[in-house]
Amino acid sequence: YGGAPGGPAFPGQAQDPLYGYFAAVGGQDGHIDADELQRCLTQSGIAGAYKPFNLETCRLMISMLDRDMSGTLGFNEFKELWAVINGWKQHFISFDTDGSGTVDRQELEKALINMGFRLSPQTVTAMAKRYSTQGKIAFDDYIACLVKLRALTECFRTRDTSQQGFVNFQYDDFIQCVMSV
Amino acid sequence: GPYGGGPYGGGPPPGPYGQPPPGGPYGGGSAPGGPYGSPYGGPQPGPYGGNVPPGVDPEAFSWFQTVDVDHSGYISVKELKQALVNNNWSSFNDETCLLMINMFDKTRSGRIDVYGFSELLRFIQQWKNLFQQYDRDQSGSISFNELQQAFSQMGYSLSPQFSQLLMARYAQRSSNPSIQLDRFIHICMQLQSTTDAFREKDTALVGNVRLSYEDFLTMVVTRML
Repeated sequence: YGGAPGGPAFPGQAQDPLYGYFAAVGGQDGHIDADELQRCLTQSGIAGAYKPFNLETCRLMISMLDRDMSGTLGFNEFKELWAVINGWKQHFISFDTDGSGTVDRQELEKALINMGFRLSPQTVTAMAKRYSTQGKIAFDDYIACLVKLRALTECFRTRDTSQQGFVNFQYDDFIQCVMSV
Repeated sequence: GPYGGGPYGGGPPPGPYGQPPPGGPYGGGSAPGGPYGSPYGGPQPGPYGGNVPPGVDPEAFSWFQTVDVDHSGYISVKELKQALVNNNWSSFNDETCLLMINMFDKTRSGRIDVYGFSELLRFIQQWKNLFQQYDRDQSGSISFNELQQAFSQMGYSLSPQFSQLLMARYAQRSSNPSIQLDRFIHICMQLQSTTDAFREKDTALVGNVRLSYEDFLTMVVTRML
């Protein structure tokens, strides 16, 4: 899982190593919130050489998997999140060819295509603009961008019952979709 | 109509809420520069040369100079964040600051000048007044019930499920989840712009629109700016 060997000694070494990180940040009630997730991810070293995630990105990541709308993640959801972030991290690393810790609009576009998103140049530009600082997108913002994209896509997909790429949105539902991300 | 709508246009109505209290937007007579008073002891030199630009409130100008820490003549998200606090003294969050900067940034540079800042302060004060009005028990933050009542009074008819969703996303986790001023502003701004985006597409005003995936994404992403 990368990073330093984690967490305090945990009874039952056969346990999932991820649980060590999870429990260490107060998953006592079996759930972690955005603050705890931030600490957890930082301690686990998943960001590697990159800057650790900011709190807002952590909140976004929780909302992506927070099926019971509690604002927290259980351990299984945390594991799922971990796998997803690792996948995105690998992508990011492969595009961050100069190791600067940032990617530009073009690299973002390539990454999105790679992940199977088919977006118009205008949409990509709008996303790049939203998430870049001086034309560059940091790892943390890249993750935030992908989380939003994924959540919005899920929202859309579940409503596209005929799988034609079109949805009839009622106002209420549209608002809910957009603002829950 | 299906929207409820709300009378806001670009922000809350001036209404009967009166002028900002003296001493700056924190109320209670706090001096510009934050609740602890200006650390500089007075207006600092800057691109405006110490003269209040025409049409700008002198207090807003003074505050601007304090907040514009690098004296660039512009305020960034970071500088703005340091200037604004919630009732529990936490700084305004990044997202809300970003939204507000974008709203008052005429140059699309990601920063605001003194004119934008002056309008921003008025904007915040109006929202603050509304917030205080909806915070019926004067707890300093807005509960689930207070949020629902706020939406209703603003003219929106939204489901309790939606309010619950917002609480899960925006509220501070505690035995009594509630929403701070910054997030309340954020919610209302998003609600407004999302409603506008929807209404633009719903030319027949039937309360629903047919969107392609691309359209949907573009609408949302550009409005999130």
